[in-house]
This record gives sequence, C-alpha cells and structure tokens, in this order.
Amino acid sequence: MTRIVVIDNHGQFTHLEGRALRDLGVDTDIVDNTTPPEEIDADGLVLSGGPDMDRIGRCAEYLKMDVPVLGICLGLQVIATELGGSVGEGDYGGYADVTVEVLDEDDPLIGSLAPETRVWASHADEVKELPDGFTHTATSDVCGIEAMSNADEGLYGVQWHPEVAHTAEGEEVFENFIDICSQ
Amino acid sequence: MVDVDSFIDEATAEIREQVGDEHAIIALSGGVDSSVAAALAYEAIGDQLTPVYVDTGLMRKGETEGIRETFAFMESLRVVEAQDRFFDALSGVTDPEEKRKVIGEQFIREFEREAKDTDAEYLVQGTIYPDRIESEGNIKSHHNVGGLPDVVDFEGIVEPVRDLYKDEVREVARALDLEEVVAERMPFPGPGLAVRVIGEVTPEKVEVARDACHVVEEETEEHEPWQAFAAVVGKATGVKGDNRVHGWIVSVRSVESRDGMTARAQELPWETLQRIQSRITGQNENVARVVYDVTHKPPATIEYE
Repeated sequence: MTRIVVIDNHGQFTHLEGRALRDLGVDTDIVDNTTPPEEIDADGLVLSGGPDMDRIGRCAEYLKMDVPVLGICLGLQVIATELGGSVGEGDYGGYADVTVEVLDEDDPLIGSLAPETRVWASHADEVKELPDGFTHTATSDVCGIEAMSNADEGLYGVQWHPEVAHTAEGEEVFENFIDICSQ
Repeated sequence: MVDVDSFIDEATAEIREQVGDEHAIIALSGGVDSSVAAALAYEAIGDQLTPVYVDTGLMRKGETEGIRETFAFMESLRVVEAQDRFFDALSGVTDPEEKRKVIGEQFIREFEREAKDTDAEYLVQGTIYPDRIESEGNIKSHHNVGGLPDVVDFEGIVEPVRDLYKDEVREVARALDLEEVVAERMPFPGPGLAVRVIGEVTPEKVEVARDACHVVEEETEEHEPWQAFAAVVGKATGVKGDNRVHGWIVSVRSVESRDGMTARAQELPWETLQRIQSRITGQNENVARVVYDVTHKPPATIEYE
C-alpha cells in the first residue's frame, strides 16, 4: 500500500491533511518536522502549512529523500526558499474563497482541475520567484504564484489548502498526488 | 470517517479498563462533545459516573430544561444552580481570555465541590481534536475544566473523543441514540454566551444575546447552517417610537462548515435577515440595530472571542 507521511509544520490544518489521505485509503501518519529523515519510511511526503518560516525544522532535508513531495501553503514556500526561489509579503492577503486559474493542464498534480478551481486559502506571504526547474502552474487575482511544479524531481506545491472542506476539488489534488507517489 | 460501532466498543472498553471499580465525574455542558463523552462513560460504567451540569447563567434559551429531559435516564445526574456566582465573578472583566479564565476558575470551584462530594477518582472530559490544536497553537484556550486536575487530585483523566472531529462526534451521538436534539445541536462554546457579548458580561447583555441567538437559530433553521448565532458587539444610536435609543448592536452570524476548521458566511435571503432584524429589535427594547457578518473563516474565527 502506498504510504504518505505528513510533516507537521505546526499548521492549523495539518491533521486534516492526514484525514484527507486516510479517507482516500492510503497508509498515512503525521510526524513532527524535527523527525530525522532516516526514520521516515514513505512513498511520498506532504509538507504542511504553518505559522512561521523559522519553525520548519528539518524540512530542507526531506526534499532530498528522493520521494515525491507536496508542499502546502508554508510547505510550498519552504520548497521555493530552499531551492533558490524567493518568498515575500503579498500585496493582498489570501483568505478564504479564491478562484485559481490553472496554467498548465498537463501538470500531474493540478492539471486535471483546469481551467479553474475554487479554493480556500489563508496566507499573507507568497512565492515571488520560482526556483530553477519549476513550472508556474496556477495563478489568481490575489496571488501570482498559486502553485508550482517540478515533475522531473517530483516536487509540487500549492499555496491554498486542498485539505479543507471548502476547497472544491481538494480531494482530487490528493488523489493526483497519490497517483504520483504510486508510480 | 471513523467507524462508529467499533469506536463505541473500543471507547467503552477503554473507559471500563481505566476507571475499574472507582467513581468518575463528568461536566455536562449540553453540547454534543460532553454529551457523547458522558453517554459513552455511562454505558461503560453506569452509576459509577456522576454527570454534573452547572447552570452558569450563560446558557442558551431552554437549555437547562432540555438537559434534565435528555439525561433523565442517568439517575446520578446533578444540576447545580450557579448563575449568581458566575455573574459576580465576571463583574468588571472585559478581556476575552480573562473572561475564559474567570469562567474556567468558577467552573472549577463548582465542580471541585461536587467531585469531592462524590469521591470521584477519575475525570471524564469531552475534549475533541480541534480543541487540542487550537489550545496548542495558542489561538484560543478551551477550558473544558482544564485547570481542575490542579485542584482535585484525580487518579486519571479520561477523554474518550479526543481524536474525533465534530462531524465524527455527531455520528457517534446518533449511534448512541442520543435524542436528535443533541446529535443535531449546533456547536456552542464552552464559556457560553459570555463570548457572545463583547466587553463586560452583564445579565442584561447576556439576556439580549440569549434571545437573539434563539431568534437566529429559529429563523435560519430551514437554511441548515452548520452554526448560527448572534453576539452583542457594542452600542449605537437608534430611534424607536420617536425616542432616541442608545442601545445594543447585535451581530448575526450564520456559517456553513464541515468540521469548524474553515467556514463560509452563509448567503441568507434578505427576507430572512429582515425577519431576524425585526424580531430582535422588536422583542428587545434595548437593541438599536442588527448587522449581518459576511466574513469567512479564515480570516475571522466563527465565534467573536
């Protein structure tokens, strides 16, 4: 069975990520972000959201574990920061209901949601510059980079919260990620 | 979604094992969480459990009578009339966290007396998963008689629904044959109407909040909100029957949610909003205006404090 581990960056919705995966029938567990990488046995990782870039523990090391990674909210920003992109304050906080335009309909993670999808978000900061090798896969009126992917490396990130009930097609994002991890 | 039948079997077995032949006590708030925890514990250990319901004066309309009826099958149920003591303790307190603390402490005093009186060795609590993360994340404190173990030397604390979300607790409630009113009852905060009154908690403001919440619950029922209520948020000028009124502002909130973690402000029909406005201002001479809160969660929380 595919096993996907959620890395807890102290986010309000971390447990819902575990629940979404559990409800889709994969083996899952939530672990603290200080857990040594060698103790994590997984076919894929979810980096949860969280309040503070200074409390991301060993997230940088998890990106080198050679398994697909889905970064959510702060998790996306961690991927961007660690791999040479940049993060800064948005002009406009992204809260609650946001309509996201999918830019790459072939993207393995969110391409199936094209042309657009309604999501729930909660963030002040956003990714300003993509790291090398990444494709800009979604955008919205309130946030330029709503999602990015590096399919070759198996690294994906979304700025919104696919795990909360108000995100219309959140389950599909997890289903797509499970497919990516099962390959 | 949790498997309800196996959950109930496991939870009751765990309670039985933990409590053994000792006596346990639980604070019944009238909400779904503590009702389910109490029913599980009662099923597990029967009259070794004493459910205690404290009427703080901060309860919803008809709530105390409802509790007496719903839990009439528990012979050990105790109802404590503590309204005056709570209002005295809250006099002059305006800070939301301080209010929660004062209520929590008064609650503990009431409960401590009952616990000692019944020689309870175990405390059963209806803590659910979101309570734990909100407390751990310092977003809000949840009292759930949190400080009681410091005062009473319990052998242990039993939290049978600690890993469940609200929707899962409701599933369990249905399976336990708790009356529909409990299973479908909207979430209600631990500190009661005190957090639906901004600023000092007075009997007058609480009475307005109680009546307004009742109106909102009735008028929104057909729209099936996840939670709907009203809060007294301040004072403003109005004019009633040619007389100036400096009266309360009542804010109405009605949201859709699955688990309380996120929420959408409900798009209620204008006629419904107007009927709510008319009833609240008409029945309460000290209310000057009624407003509707259109903010989702995030950025707002569902409750005001």
